[in-house]
Amino acid sequence: MRVHLPAFDHDGMDPTPARYRIRIHGHLGATVLSAFPALVSQRHGADTVLTGLLDRSALYGVLAEIDAFGLDLIEVRQLTADRKSPGSGDSRSP
Amino acid sequence: MKVAPATPRLIDRSDLLAALDRAAAGKVTILSAPAGSGKTSLLRAWADRARQPHGLAVVQVQRDQHDAQQFWLALLDAVRQASGTTSRAEPPTATPDFNGPAMVDRVLSELADARDGITLVIDDLHELHSPEALAQLTRLLTNLPANVHAILATRRDLRLELHRLRLAGELAELRGAELRFTERETRELLDASGIALSDAGVALLHERTEGWAAGLRLAAISLAGHLDPERFVAEFSGSDRTVAEYLLAEMLDRQPDEIQQLLLGTSLLDRVNGELADLLTGRPGSERILLELEDANAFVVSLDPERRWFRYHHLLGDFLRLELRRTQPEEVPALHRRAAGWFTRHGQVVDAIRHTQAAGDWSEAARLLADHSFSLTLDGQAQTIQALVRAFPQGAADDPELALVHAADDLLHGHLDEAAAHLAVAETYVKTVPPDRQRRLRVAVVSLKLGLARRRGHLADIVEQARFLASPVTGESDEDIALDSDLRAVALYNLGTLEAWSLALPDAERHLQEGAVLARQIGRPYLEVGCLAQLGFASRIRSFATTRQRCYEAIALAERHGWGAEPVIAPALVTLAANLVWTGELDEGERWLQRTAQALQTDAGPGITQLLHLATGRLHAGRGRQHEALEELRAAEHLQSQLAGSNALASQVTGWMLATQARLGQAGKARAALVALTDEQANAGEIRNARAVICLAEGDPAGALGALADVLDGTAPVIGYVTVVEAQLLAALAHRALGDQRAANQAAEHALALAEPDRLVLPFAMTGAGELLEALPRHETAHAALVADILDVVQGASLPAKDQASSSQADELSPSELRVLRYLPTNLSRPEIAGELSVSVNTVNTHIRNIYAKLQARDRSSAVQRARELRLLSTGRTR
Repeated sequence: MRVHLPAFDHDGMDPTPARYRIRIHGHLGATVLSAFPALVSQRHGADTVLTGLLDRSALYGVLAEIDAFGLDLIEVRQLTADRKSPGSGDSRSP
Repeated sequence: MKVAPATPRLIDRSDLLAALDRAAAGKVTILSAPAGSGKTSLLRAWADRARQPHGLAVVQVQRDQHDAQQFWLALLDAVRQASGTTSRAEPPTATPDFNGPAMVDRVLSELADARDGITLVIDDLHELHSPEALAQLTRLLTNLPANVHAILATRRDLRLELHRLRLAGELAELRGAELRFTERETRELLDASGIALSDAGVALLHERTEGWAAGLRLAAISLAGHLDPERFVAEFSGSDRTVAEYLLAEMLDRQPDEIQQLLLGTSLLDRVNGELADLLTGRPGSERILLELEDANAFVVSLDPERRWFRYHHLLGDFLRLELRRTQPEEVPALHRRAAGWFTRHGQVVDAIRHTQAAGDWSEAARLLADHSFSLTLDGQAQTIQALVRAFPQGAADDPELALVHAADDLLHGHLDEAAAHLAVAETYVKTVPPDRQRRLRVAVVSLKLGLARRRGHLADIVEQARFLASPVTGESDEDIALDSDLRAVALYNLGTLEAWSLALPDAERHLQEGAVLARQIGRPYLEVGCLAQLGFASRIRSFATTRQRCYEAIALAERHGWGAEPVIAPALVTLAANLVWTGELDEGERWLQRTAQALQTDAGPGITQLLHLATGRLHAGRGRQHEALEELRAAEHLQSQLAGSNALASQVTGWMLATQARLGQAGKARAALVALTDEQANAGEIRNARAVICLAEGDPAGALGALADVLDGTAPVIGYVTVVEAQLLAALAHRALGDQRAANQAAEHALALAEPDRLVLPFAMTGAGELLEALPRHETAHAALVADILDVVQGASLPAKDQASSSQADELSPSELRVLRYLPTNLSRPEIAGELSVSVNTVNTHIRNIYAKLQARDRSSAVQRARELRLLSTGRTR
């Protein structure tokens, strides 16, 4: 899956954390899992699902780690609606 | 930093190389592909090919680069090295405040100068976390000269507005899918590494890794020399683990203990050398291991041709870091501390601070930042400092050590109230610091206070600060001396500047000269330029020639460094402009005023803006444009309110404004304003002159003479002798109005005599002294040449600028010859000239013969014309 990550915008961080569920293909070992201390992992078949509370900045940090380790990102889903908008990948206008 | 050539075991991905070749026909190529896709390897292979005719400029963006200036300095350096031409300009040096657009212009001009064209490669562009740098880069890319091609490599799409290039077909892209290895390429990679694998095995490997370059390379490392490659692939294929983690863990496990410890222990560094690795592992021999790892193509890469510094492939490094933290957490802070110590000892302060922060030693990090912030700012790392400050967590961020750092940043960005607040905190704190650091921090605080006073236009308690700075720099270590020298140079610059603007001119000269010398010694060209520029401005008590000389020197130095249009040189630009206007070289003066205006676009304090308005006002007045002059003077007057305390220009600004108003028929308004002045203000010579102008406008010449009396007899305080010249002229006008032509002539002669050495023209033009001069009996004046010049200007011409190149010829005329030369424009005969000079006629004849020869003139009038062209008559008598 091709993922477009918008450029980091450090000044416009939304501090309100939300619950995210992130699905990655393959199983993560202890080492790579330690890159996601804020998330809990579960195996779902051939995938790994990471769940946890993340603010915007932390979310992009997680995505960067996924990119860094060449992990295969299947899905990013927000589990609780925050007031701005539902779903993943919404970009804040600068 | 030169690129190490690609190691031979990477395959030749000819299709991709061909694609890059094709893309090079356009202006920009973007390689946008995930981590580990093989972008860097591909670029290296492409760069290695002998077919490249262009010079190659390669920049690898540092991890988490927030500092636009650091990025651009690296880029400019790469371009200069690639173009190979020894540029006339100095190598780029950092400036405390960064002018992005000017930097882009500089890069563009260096690119244009490269004879054979340049290929610019920027790798890891996603690490550039500076929106302003990205915007500047967009401008660069959309304005590339012909013969320049840029290739950008990034892990993710960036906000670069290159639509125009795309529409014009000048933008090429290679994306992740294209960089994936095909099955055939997988086979080639294995063959090149001497790995025997069945076709089925190759297919399996290719499928499992999905052609991901990093995965394949890692697999190749583990497969090389493996006893049962088929089994390895089968197990790998059957595992649910993610590719990277499986293979990295594999690779690491197979390394001997010694190497594992080395890799883990050094993983927290961005780059490593043998010595540093020995320190962190507590064992010798690291350099050998690093070299072997690179030779084995095991994801270790050297960064310099001498192979001293190495970096791990980010994938390996990231994994190792996690593994270290997971398996040996208690080691991590100690390792960071050891690294910090090494970097401190080797003067790499930013790295030292980063590792100190990583070790969790926040107060130590704050102390380091406070000690080094001045030096780092002078190194052009102001934004890096801010990134380091932001890294402090909630509690530690309130450390009073950081107040100094905050104050410096506030000052840099013009947040003057915040700067004052932070300085107050810093000042209180400094009193509690142990004595070995106290002096240094006090100098820093004082320096910032002076800087703040300068920006605000306020007088600080200068005398006390000066005394404090007079004690010499003593330090225990070279590092201490370097730090303290930086601080001292900045302090002298700020102090000298403030003194110059508060009329403490002898002290200003002294401190600025000392500052310039020190700055040169410690290799801080920006400070040297700053001191020399302010010295130009402070030279007002000197002769015009000296002032001009100093300004030219400062400007030349600034231009050599590419700072000819920066705010730092503005004081010299505007002083030179004013100087030229004073001597009637109005066109030339105007050009320098325009340059000043340009230089002040980004940062203009009230003081220098006022000076610009004043000088521009004088220019207009010299051209007889009184209305425009008044506008400028009003603008200058308006800035008075922002300049508290006694300031250098106040009486001039007010005086000339009132005089101009009177000349424009607003005498009543001017007189009303006079009444509003304090006694002290009204006592100034410039104000008295203005009063005289008002009287003359009101038809009261006697009143004018009364106002001028104290100026003429020297009892009134004046800014400089120009005020007295003006007073003499006004007196002459008053005498003439009263019918006393003889007294008028006398006063005019006095004015000419005062004006002669510096060749002052402007006061005559401004006071409308044309008729006065024309009334002078020509053959009686020793100042005929000056009068001729003045009349030229009054009649609307501008005197030609002094021809710098041929001024050397002027040196060939001896002082005696120059004396005779001055009389040539008059009607005096040779015997009469001899009488004036108290020499024999033969002597005069000899001098004139020599003059004609040196000026290549045939007769008197052509000699005079040549002399005027060469502005020989303006070299001035030595007093």
